[in-house]
Amino acid sequence: MLQNPIFIALIIFILTYTAIISEKINRTVIALFGAVLMIIFQVLPQKRAFAIIDFNTIGLLIGMMIIVIILKKTGIFQYIAIKTAKASKGDPWKILLMFSIIAAIASALLDNVTTILLIAPVTLVITDTLKLNPFPFLFAEIFAANIGGTATLIGDPPNIMIGGATGLGFLDFVYNLAPVAIVVFIVTMVIMKFIFRKQFKVTEEDKKKMLEFDEHKTIQDKKLLIQSVIVLGITILGFILHQAFELESATVALFGAVLLLLTSKADPDEILMEIEWSTIFFFVGLFILVGALEEVGIIKVLAEKLITLTQGSMLVTSMLILWMSAIASAFVDNIPFVATMIPLIQNMQAISGVDVTPLWWSLALGACLGGNGTIVGASANVIAAGMLEKRGSKIGFVQYLKLAFPLMLVSIIISTIYLIVFYV
Amino acid sequence: MNYLNVEASQHEMRLIQMGAKVEQINSKMCYIKFVIDGVPVEYVYNLNKKNKYFLERIKPYPLAVKTYENVADLVEVINIDIKQFKNVVKSKNIESFLTINKELISTIKKFEDLFLYYNIPLEEVELLRNKISEIQQEIVKTKETAERVFFDKDPENLK
Repeated sequence: MLQNPIFIALIIFILTYTAIISEKINRTVIALFGAVLMIIFQVLPQKRAFAIIDFNTIGLLIGMMIIVIILKKTGIFQYIAIKTAKASKGDPWKILLMFSIIAAIASALLDNVTTILLIAPVTLVITDTLKLNPFPFLFAEIFAANIGGTATLIGDPPNIMIGGATGLGFLDFVYNLAPVAIVVFIVTMVIMKFIFRKQFKVTEEDKKKMLEFDEHKTIQDKKLLIQSVIVLGITILGFILHQAFELESATVALFGAVLLLLTSKADPDEILMEIEWSTIFFFVGLFILVGALEEVGIIKVLAEKLITLTQGSMLVTSMLILWMSAIASAFVDNIPFVATMIPLIQNMQAISGVDVTPLWWSLALGACLGGNGTIVGASANVIAAGMLEKRGSKIGFVQYLKLAFPLMLVSIIISTIYLIVFYV
Repeated sequence: MNYLNVEASQHEMRLIQMGAKVEQINSKMCYIKFVIDGVPVEYVYNLNKKNKYFLERIKPYPLAVKTYENVADLVEVINIDIKQFKNVVKSKNIESFLTINKELISTIKKFEDLFLYYNIPLEEVELLRNKISEIQQEIVKTKETAERVFFDKDPENLK
């Protein structure tokens, strides 16, 4: 061990996080570089670095990615979206609302980015057909995905990380976060109807074109669809029951993934190739970086400072975490932020002996909903903005901020009331 | 990768609604570039697990070469093609060779437009067929009298 590991760990950590926030270098590369530097400079040995990687989070992410990759090949999302759009009889507001509901539900069961990747292509085809500006639709879907993802353990990476670190299960997240997520969703949709009320004009001819879409054509492999839906059902049931059977969430997701690989006879090479390995390795790098800070005692010192600052008040600490995570997540990646906050809260519990469960909900609500605040707040936003830009309708940072930030603040105000009333 | 997936999904949805069966295959697209005495000779081919390799020459003029089932064949075809081009670029007729090829491709495109956009009288169809036949006969006749310069492989289309 070097003479001043605290100083070295802090320098590596700050430089790495600065590089991640600047987005000048690929976030996965720089996170792994920082992690390897922690080992090279003997802040922690390799064996310990590998041991602090949260393989429950990694396994859960990989398992769910495999399920989604196979599921999307069935065309089920296109089927649901076309069926819904037709049921809306081409009414743009109803389509926006229904697609947002689909995005919210899908995002509660899959991750946000996947949800946007599934719903956005259908949305773009539908809005093209109806000759509508796709922005209000994608904007609403981003919000819906980020709100829906807040509601469950598997909906958003911050929740996956919190679950992995704390042992809080699928149902814990549903009981504690789904009610407030539903309220936030309803309020957000009402405000959106007001904001976009003048943008929805469609000719009867275009409506007729959209109604000619045949949802049945989208299901190209019925056998695969049945297998995928059954396995997804088993997996969700597994998440509901995993605590009762003393199984980790990763075990459930990986079981579902392997079962689907086995039954669908999908080419494993093709499926594994489509996994977002850069995201997985980003998590690996972050776990080591934050683990190194914890190893040298920096996180403990920060936790003590936070307790002193808040004078041990659960109300103040909870609000501080909620608002700090919301504002931070609106501007920087919420994953590294949450990765740092998790050991901080764990240390606060260890030092004060107080039950910090409400703080996990504050962190989850702030980090997940905060991502809605700006165009760079969440990966789903960046992807949707990129799609719009490719179609020649670039959305500027400020333009997005003016619409999204107040909406995000509304969701955090609702969360504040919820936390005060029910937890602190 | 995400953008590609979104684009591919949109195409898939539109094509399925048009009645197509769409199969997306992960593959490697390979661009191969040679420069032979200043003449660029370029190919593109697609490697995939379905064991179908689509080879196309894109420069000096585009030509769908063939679909192969063995990647080794594909490299050998490029090898032969390059050797042939090395021979051709030494010829004093290189400029004419390239120009005629480009004109032939342009003729095919015009011919296709003619049939896709217009209803062609039967006698005109016959006339065009005869003209094509004349050109083909002229090519075979020329082959009989011209000096052969490439022997690594026999021609596939001049029998």
